[in-house]
Amino acid sequence: MSDEHNVRGFKVRLDRAYHLDFHLWVQSSEGDSVRIGMDPLGLETSGTLSQLEFAAVGTIVARGEPFGTLEAEKFVGPIRSPLSGMIVASNAEAMASPGICERDPYGEGWFVELTPFDFDGERDQLTEGTVTLVAAFAAKVDDYRRQGVLAE
Amino acid sequence: MTVAGTLRVIDFGTAAPLRSQTYWHAVAYGVSAGAAPTLSFVQPSAPYVSIGYHRRLEEVDRATCTTNGWPVYRRMIGGGPVYLDKGQLFFQITMPMRSIPAARHRALRRLLGPAIEAFRAVGIPAVLDEHLEIVVDDRKICGYGAGQIGESAIVAGNLILDFDHRAAASILRAPSATADAELARLIGRYVAATPADPAAFKAAATDAYCRDLQLSPRDGVLNPIERDRLDELDQRFCSASWLAGSSRPDPDVWQAKIRAGVWMFAARDGDTELVVCVDNGRVLRARLQHPHLNGSRSSIETELAGLTLAEAATTLGRSGDPGTELADLFTRADPGRSL
Repeated sequence: MSDEHNVRGFKVRLDRAYHLDFHLWVQSSEGDSVRIGMDPLGLETSGTLSQLEFAAVGTIVARGEPFGTLEAEKFVGPIRSPLSGMIVASNAEAMASPGICERDPYGEGWFVELTPFDFDGERDQLTEGTVTLVAAFAAKVDDYRRQGVLAE
Repeated sequence: MTVAGTLRVIDFGTAAPLRSQTYWHAVAYGVSAGAAPTLSFVQPSAPYVSIGYHRRLEEVDRATCTTNGWPVYRRMIGGGPVYLDKGQLFFQITMPMRSIPAARHRALRRLLGPAIEAFRAVGIPAVLDEHLEIVVDDRKICGYGAGQIGESAIVAGNLILDFDHRAAASILRAPSATADAELARLIGRYVAATPADPAAFKAAATDAYCRDLQLSPRDGVLNPIERDRLDELDQRFCSASWLAGSSRPDPDVWQAKIRAGVWMFAARDGDTELVVCVDNGRVLRARLQHPHLNGSRSSIETELAGLTLAEAATTLGRSGDPGTELADLFTRADPGRSL
């Protein structure tokens, strides 16, 4: 089990970086690639996932551009890439059964693997490191609660 | 939500099927590019079928659509395949993404709330239930879908003036005559028309959205960006590749949703067939076919009614060889998630 921290009621794995606005985690994978999945706050705000679709392997995406789409509550929206790069793998099982992303968001429910073009250059957009991550994640949860996005 | 300024109101009137889709998609691009939040209305001039962005085209009975001359268009927002005609008045509220709550269920409650007020203002006692379905009693009275297009969020729904239940059922490709009959029965039971004066509904919706969003109404038309987008959207929606959508795996069992919480599934394997209607997780009605069921079919069907899907599978499994086979079909049903 990876180091996991309970932050304001959400389980946050500390062994990876996060894009807190896009609600995605980023973890080094094989070779130069990173694996990307949805963080628990993203799952909470999306609602029950009914459909997922990811860009084809070989697709090049810029940071902030969609690498896929997600449907929950009959609401279709983009999944924006936290890094620029090329998609090298996508999780077909998650597309076929999006429920695994809710059951195991940090493991079997990953979305895509991407080879970043400039990981070091874009890393400042990600939040990582125990103290920084826990504080930033807690601040995001608090902000959402203030806005009434999450239940108290 | 605080958006200062005006609510652009565009009444597209009656439009051909294609334009009854592409008009409001164009508006979404316009709002994304900075146009004012927009409430729009459109009524299709002829029947057609619209399929949700992620859904498999194979869900639609293309042969029936072709026979009847009903075109099929893939929209960019969510939900399943639906039949549309001039008996339905469609409304769309399009807002900048930044102005709506980040949680989808809250965004939907916020953007559907004024529509509920509009229904009530014209005498329809609509409520938004716990499943985020707009209902009167237990019957769905408004179909809607939502999505983010560019930097805008759009929710599109309808006022059903007159509903052709038979046509609505016929556009879905059911795996058997039994499933087709159950589908038509459920749509007739759980989807209702709520006739009202369309002009009064439009006025009430405009008032409600302006009040809720604290905006002033202003009659509008498409801007140049939107007109350019309209041409592109017309072409996109007519292209075979857009209509086909992405390749998605075939589901283990055929499923169809009638309204939130009410769905059905059917599976067939040779002479074995199972057709099950589900209401809030419990079997509403089951229809079984198996060459060895002999005289026990009716009693087993009765026994399954009211059970959860897991209980029903266990009950079938206990009833001997044919039951075990049917129980296996039961366990392959996804409880409505992908619908």
